[in-house]
Amino acid sequence: MTTLHPPRPASRHQIDWLTGELAHWQSAGWLDSRHADEILHSYRPTSRLSLSRLVLTLGAGFVGVGMIWLVAANLDALPPALRFGVVAAFWVVTTAGAEWLAGRREHTGSIPSPVVGAARSVASLAFGAVVFQAAQSLQVPAYEPKLVGFWALGVLVLGYATRAETPLVIGLGLAAGWYVWQVAWSTPDGLGVVLAFLVSGVVAASVATLHGRWWPDFAAPWREVAALLVLVGLFVAAIPEIGGDDVAWSASLVAGLATAGVLAVAAVTLGAGRAGLEPLVAAVLTAAAAGLVLWDPPNDPASLTASDVSHAVVAVVLYVAVAVLVAVLGVLHDSWRLTAMATVALVLFTTVQSFAVFARIIDGAWLFLLLGVVFLATGYGFDRARRELASTLEGDAS
Amino acid sequence: MTLSTPARLGLALLVQLALVGAAVTPQLSARVSGEEYLLRVAPLDPIDPFRGAYVALDYPDLRAADGSRTTGLDDDHRGTIYLPLEREGDVWVLTAATRTRPTTSPYLTCDDRSWLVRCGIESLFLPQDEARALERAVASGEAMARVRIDGRGHAALLGVDVE
Repeated sequence: MTTLHPPRPASRHQIDWLTGELAHWQSAGWLDSRHADEILHSYRPTSRLSLSRLVLTLGAGFVGVGMIWLVAANLDALPPALRFGVVAAFWVVTTAGAEWLAGRREHTGSIPSPVVGAARSVASLAFGAVVFQAAQSLQVPAYEPKLVGFWALGVLVLGYATRAETPLVIGLGLAAGWYVWQVAWSTPDGLGVVLAFLVSGVVAASVATLHGRWWPDFAAPWREVAALLVLVGLFVAAIPEIGGDDVAWSASLVAGLATAGVLAVAAVTLGAGRAGLEPLVAAVLTAAAAGLVLWDPPNDPASLTASDVSHAVVAVVLYVAVAVLVAVLGVLHDSWRLTAMATVALVLFTTVQSFAVFARIIDGAWLFLLLGVVFLATGYGFDRARRELASTLEGDAS
Repeated sequence: MTLSTPARLGLALLVQLALVGAAVTPQLSARVSGEEYLLRVAPLDPIDPFRGAYVALDYPDLRAADGSRTTGLDDDHRGTIYLPLEREGDVWVLTAATRTRPTTSPYLTCDDRSWLVRCGIESLFLPQDEARALERAVASGEAMARVRIDGRGHAALLGVDVE
């Protein structure tokens, strides 16, 4: 047997696993040593975050952000129409260039490279520069959230048209940022902001579930964004006195709630298996977060009441449960990003809550000791849950 | 029917271009089909992270009669508000704000959901040094905003003239 193709990239972990399995297949007599060597040499080790990927990501970020800042510099050497033409030409060239690179890679079947992703990032940011240049040339008022909304929509259109993950991820981040800004702008109230995060989370979880049936490759980014939005929304909801006294049901908030409701029903009805429950859980958490904000204990620094402590305890228990749930989703969907997100969120949340609420009852070194014990107990619980889930899944599979 | 990659890309670019137009529709419509009006103007302050330096403009003649920075319409609603204009010498001033679309032009279609009434003519983007100079000039003298307004009340700021 001769190796006809260049070695395919594989992570160190995959190569270690393959080496062990090849030894097992040889001992079972399924494979001789020559074939085992050829198989092993048809892969080359590569690290997930290679230097080239890092440099390309940074480069794409600098070029894209630089283009937007060039718009912000308002260069008076060029008239507004010419500036718009230059920025629009850059957008068309980078977008077409990125797809040309992607097509070339598809046809030659070469080793996957991060160049296409970097080029698509530049194209996505360049579209933002076009929107902002048009707005600047036409004197659209400053701090207008809808411009970010149109930027997000355009990048999502690009993501779906080219079936590419990079514009999808950038578009989702922009869309979430736009929606929260839009709601905060028309509803300057803590509950409005919390609901904006959670409602976006329900929408993203529903779309992720629907993608499980159609275009499964796009399910993971939607699910990860949903988890992030839910974790951030609950984090904000648990902050004492975040403000829920004067809720204004703005059009953007009501439209978001209606969209989330329709998509959640569609996802629960059409979703495959357990994934159908994910939007439902996000919807229940939206109600729980609203309840936390409306609870509003006295929170007087001079005298901590039982209501203050109960509010903090309920918030901590709820957040830990949600973080565990996100970590479990990470195991179920084989996503290290979900697991990492849950861990970081839990550490940040516990620390902030400890200093915001419990520091007033327990001071100094005792607070650190308590925090350490909480982390150890949570870490132990996390690890147990992960192991049990993994062994259950293995049992189901065998 | 499955579209080829170039066709999908071309379609995506066209949709994106349409979105750029949609993002600036009121200003574009006012510039293309609107009439030009003069409004007295005063400065506020500047910088948008995405679009750079600007002069934030206040319109004394679009305020309530008591001089407060509202339209004088004291109801519990928030959303679209219309500011009918009438000529007073060279400039145009507010008559009385209303929630019902006026039957005669000119009027401004605005939004009072945030703390400030927004009519789409509150910012003049300029290079940083020019923005600073204009802000000083506007503060020290009479300044006029040249504004185009279309039949639906969409307004676009063309520029500011300092006397």
